[in-house]
Amino acid sequence: MGLWIRQEKTTLSSQEKVTAEICKLSKKVELQNFDFFCGLLQRRSDVYSVEIYGTKDLQKTEIEDEEEKHKDQKGNKKKKKAEDLKKELDLVSGLSSARAAEILARDGPNALTPPKATPEIVKFLKQMIGGFSILLWIGAGFSWISFGIQLAQGVDSAFDNLYLGVVLALVVILTGIFAYYQEAKSTNIMASFSKMIPQVRATVDNSSLTGESEPQSRSCDFTHENPLETRNIAFYSTTCVEGTATGIVINTGDRTIIGRIASLASGVGNEKTPIAIEIEHFVYLVAGVAISIGVLFFIISVSMRYKILDSIIFLIGIIVANVPEGLLATVTVSLSLTAKRMAKKNCLVKNLEAVETLGSTSIICSDKTGTLTQNRMTVAHLWFDNQIYSADTSEDQTTQPFDQSSPTWTALSKIVTLCNRAEFRPGQENLPIMKRVVVGDASETALLKFSEVILGDVMSIRAQNRKVAEIPFNSTNKFQLSIHETDDPQDKRFLLVMKGAPERILERCSTIMINGKEEPLDSEKAEAFQTAYMELGGMGERVLGFCHLYLPENEFPETFQFDTDSMNFPTSNLCFVGLLSMIDPPRSTVPDAVSKCRSAGIKVIMVTGDHPITAKAIAKSVGIISATSETVEDIAKRLNIPVEQVNRREATAAVVNGMELKDMSSEQLDEILRNHTEIVFARTSPQQKLIIVEGCQRQGAVVAVTGDGVNDSPALKKADIGIAMGIAGSDAAKNAADMVLLDDNFASIVTGVEEGRLIFDNLKKTIAYTLTKNIAELCPFLIYIIASIPMPIGTITILFIDLGTDIIPSVALAYEKAESDIMNRRPRNKRRDRLVNQQLAVYSYLQIGIMQSVGAFVTYFTVYAEQGFLPSTLLGVRVNWENNAINDFEDSYGQQWTHYQRMYLQWTGYTAFFVSITIQQVADLIIRKTRRNSIFRQGLFRNKVIWVGIFSQIGIALILTYALSFPCPPCGFQYWFVAVPFAILIWVYDEIRKLLIRRHPGSECTPLILIKYFHFMSLFPPFHSHPRLRGFGLLVFLLPLPLSPG
Amino acid sequence: MASNASTSDVEGQLRSPSQKVENKHEEKVQDPDREKHEPKADMGSKTWADLAGEMKIFLWNPEERTCMGRTAKSWGLILLFYFIFYTCLAGMFAFCLYVMLLTLSPYTPRYRDRVSPPGVMIRPYLNGFTIAFNVSQPNTWQPYMDSMHHFLAAYDDKVQEEKNIECVPGQYFIQGGSDSEEKKACQFKRSLLQNCSGIQDPTFGYSRGQPCILLKMNRIIGYRPGAGVPVSVECKVQKGNESHLRSVDFYPGNGTFDLMYYPYYGKFTHVNYTSPLVAMHFTDVQRNHLVPIQCSLHGKGIINDLNSDRFLGRIIFTLSIGK
Repeated sequence: MGLWIRQEKTTLSSQEKVTAEICKLSKKVELQNFDFFCGLLQRRSDVYSVEIYGTKDLQKTEIEDEEEKHKDQKGNKKKKKAEDLKKELDLVSGLSSARAAEILARDGPNALTPPKATPEIVKFLKQMIGGFSILLWIGAGFSWISFGIQLAQGVDSAFDNLYLGVVLALVVILTGIFAYYQEAKSTNIMASFSKMIPQVRATVDNSSLTGESEPQSRSCDFTHENPLETRNIAFYSTTCVEGTATGIVINTGDRTIIGRIASLASGVGNEKTPIAIEIEHFVYLVAGVAISIGVLFFIISVSMRYKILDSIIFLIGIIVANVPEGLLATVTVSLSLTAKRMAKKNCLVKNLEAVETLGSTSIICSDKTGTLTQNRMTVAHLWFDNQIYSADTSEDQTTQPFDQSSPTWTALSKIVTLCNRAEFRPGQENLPIMKRVVVGDASETALLKFSEVILGDVMSIRAQNRKVAEIPFNSTNKFQLSIHETDDPQDKRFLLVMKGAPERILERCSTIMINGKEEPLDSEKAEAFQTAYMELGGMGERVLGFCHLYLPENEFPETFQFDTDSMNFPTSNLCFVGLLSMIDPPRSTVPDAVSKCRSAGIKVIMVTGDHPITAKAIAKSVGIISATSETVEDIAKRLNIPVEQVNRREATAAVVNGMELKDMSSEQLDEILRNHTEIVFARTSPQQKLIIVEGCQRQGAVVAVTGDGVNDSPALKKADIGIAMGIAGSDAAKNAADMVLLDDNFASIVTGVEEGRLIFDNLKKTIAYTLTKNIAELCPFLIYIIASIPMPIGTITILFIDLGTDIIPSVALAYEKAESDIMNRRPRNKRRDRLVNQQLAVYSYLQIGIMQSVGAFVTYFTVYAEQGFLPSTLLGVRVNWENNAINDFEDSYGQQWTHYQRMYLQWTGYTAFFVSITIQQVADLIIRKTRRNSIFRQGLFRNKVIWVGIFSQIGIALILTYALSFPCPPCGFQYWFVAVPFAILIWVYDEIRKLLIRRHPGSECTPLILIKYFHFMSLFPPFHSHPRLRGFGLLVFLLPLPLSPG
Repeated sequence: MASNASTSDVEGQLRSPSQKVENKHEEKVQDPDREKHEPKADMGSKTWADLAGEMKIFLWNPEERTCMGRTAKSWGLILLFYFIFYTCLAGMFAFCLYVMLLTLSPYTPRYRDRVSPPGVMIRPYLNGFTIAFNVSQPNTWQPYMDSMHHFLAAYDDKVQEEKNIECVPGQYFIQGGSDSEEKKACQFKRSLLQNCSGIQDPTFGYSRGQPCILLKMNRIIGYRPGAGVPVSVECKVQKGNESHLRSVDFYPGNGTFDLMYYPYYGKFTHVNYTSPLVAMHFTDVQRNHLVPIQCSLHGKGIINDLNSDRFLGRIIFTLSIGK
């Protein structure tokens, strides 16, 4: 389908700048097939009109096809097609209803296809079978199978297996429901979010589509092959600011530009978040361990002539012991706690897993407007008296510090105040000036606020200097002019004030004011003006010139009638007063945030649709391009050589224009991304943004992208973490993003990064904490099978640890403060810095875990010994012990036990084992607080939640054992203390490990430390000087071998 | 760095520059490394042969002489470490158990709350609690008879007279002295069981369809059953027709455990202790029926109605006597 749009000169009589503004369709306005050129779908009463003027203009119509991408090779063909279309279409009345219906039937309604949403039930079921759930389902299945078999055999305890299966299934279902709920909750935050933020609809532009913050003019001229750049197309979803135009609908629904962007966005696959990958890796690891140990011991027990059924029951036990049932729930809770914390700091996380992604981010591709800048024009520099002054551009300025004593300034300030049509909306007197809403365009607003800050009540000044005539700004004149009475009652002259494009203003001047005196404008002064103009322009600022003229009283008496049409007053030989330059200044928090990113090893890349010079200036002022670094062009300029001769590697910074980017191969882009640390992409299109993100990802980086427009949504989606702007952002951007910055502030990203890194560190601690006790739960089964001792701990009891006592402490670790300045660390390497690595697993499993098991077994043997079964009696006793026909089972002292009495003792043993693990988990919790630092340096009491965790752990254990006596009978209170020495041992051992790690940074899990041993001895004087301690040193030096903190 | 410096000690400050150097080094190293990994990134296209080859390299890399990523030296050190580590742990485990055992008396366990009140067992015991035989087929009751004889061998009058002393009936035989002193045991002669002693009738009545079943109470150190009144035994049909069990004779006495056999002092000092028995002579039981019988102890402190433990103070067995 061809597109063509016809645009009209508008009839808007007195409006200053409109030459040919066109109608753009507001978001609420949808193209309604061919009946209307621009129809209103929802609100027909909306501010929208279509005016058609004769047919003569039609000849000017240019044709463009939206379907084309950047290069249109079939332009001629399209034109022809359009001619056909024109013939087909009655340009005054549009399509006939019948034809419209036909096309409607062919192309479908003009609506975007909503993105495919996963049905809730599928999401729910995914939670049920993901991760460890499948293992637990297997466990439950085995339980039911063995229940069936045992029931058929008439075994008394058959129902235990039924219950176990039910409990396992319940565990899976409950954790599934929990995870689903958390997920749903975080989505709901999002749903309610759109109500929270006032949806400011810019009245200006198609920024939502292209990101250009300034209103674009539209005319009938076909100016560019790129549909986004050409002036004769208006787009679905954009807003018409002013003016009228007539157009022909060329595309509808998904075939519109926005539809294409939307489908581009939904076409971009949802990549797995780093934390999801990490958790998957972790699940594989643990499941691998569980299955291999399970199968190994299944084989062992079968070959040891256990019954197959028994072996299956052992298998269940091993699986249950190995799977950290509570962990995934804990991770979810920890993530959502962090998400909450981040929301308080204005980072709203939509997808829980994205919490961590930000922490591993290594490249941030940031938008300029609104994110890095304040998104409002502000006066940045002034030039008068041959001197450049800087103005304060911070968000909350109340005064301006530059020197205001010169009479030139007085004159300039008067012009700024008077030659300005912008006004404050009434009723905002109590608001700070910078926050007040202004009616007027961006530059005038800036000037109004600027003068309000310096001079005070601008409106009363204007009232005192009554305006008698005015010529508003228009693009042919490129100036604005007004004539005022003066507030000096003695002076009856009129004051003519003028502002506009500096070169145009200068043309009209013959004198220049220096220190309050008018001096002739000679070439030297003109040169000075040029220098200043170039300098300000070079800073990417928009420069305005100001001049005035006191009209002679004799020629223009008080009663003189000024006529702006005939211009019966002088507009040349004026007196040039000064220049003001404006820029959308960076947010004051941004430079700091950028430098934080830099020290955190995160590369900040600016990607903007803006002009390269402005982009570079802002990049420099926020530190994205640091003060000392140069681009290739800078070097060329400095050395006075052509750009081609510059060694590209010398330049750390690069400013890449969208047009250059278009012609680049991906290798060239890679090279730029690799070789330059400070990069600015200017004049980029949405597709290019996507290309840049992909390029960064090819470097192995975790990429965060900020954006607000619809045009950003593909890039937001493609990015590892898309960050949408909460205030300025469009809904499409927010939908595509993983995170929303509520205050649109780049600095909030840095807080997010910090939280993300912290949670990664803390999740590691949580996992290490959780994995440790798995061994203490697993060992009983293994030893039970091999040594045939009475069962030390039951499957249900294990679940009580995993889902009862351990949950709150593991969550408490998420509250742990950072150990060192995490923002001075490089982002983690996706490939190397895993959440769970070999060292962490080995240290948890083979060292701390084994210590815990030993401690728990001491308790176990103590319980039995104190009841009459000495350790030696217990070995190999299993078959008789479990035989329920033997009711005079003899213990070490000759006493005789019934089967039930033995079982009761066994359950008491479960309790004692459970209690021991709990006690040792307290020590485990304390050691996991830090991975490198000594606990004493981190502070035992800084994280209060840890203590909540410890007390809850002990409290829950007390309640389970004494108040509920469930699942096991209470054990004597003394058994709580048996494992305490081992708890202390764990603590001391880990402190020593941390000490050695600190002494030997970098030597992770390598016996190389052995080689460093002598070095170590010299570091540790006590070992040196005391011969006795040397022996101890020998013992200690072995410890750090595989002990890296993971 | 500023915040770091403020909180850190001297060591931290000294270390930080060196760390930075390390970091930079890492940064440089990364790049060639990355390129090396690049082809690996697309895992999808890996064939099984590649995988097997990689596995082989992992298991034994001849170039670097590493097995599973470690050199022999590295493995040696790791294993040495774990050997020492686990030896130390084992030592600590042993030490703890040793200390714990030191606190225990070798003669009396510290707690007896789980083993009392006493449970009950019967003899003969072959495979469970159903005693079924046909009078006319000796091979059906022969095993029971053998079991009884075997069990009662320790109760032979001669053996008892040789090893044990005669005690005063009707009162607990409390022996003072230190814990480690050897305790004397009271005679429980087989002959006390009269018709069920197997002396006059070596078939214990099985040949006549009047089986003897011995009942014994579990030994508990220091336990004084009945609190001064001997514990007695009573039998009844557990479920079903009461008339199936018409008469039971109890030996010795009226089916009581005499007080003089208590308390028990444990197997180390009470070496020759023989548990007193009560023989139940089922003289008239319905033939050709499964008769479930519950025999229970009665006395102060005896619990015989616990649902969960069917051997606590009682025992349930089934008699099935055929022709």
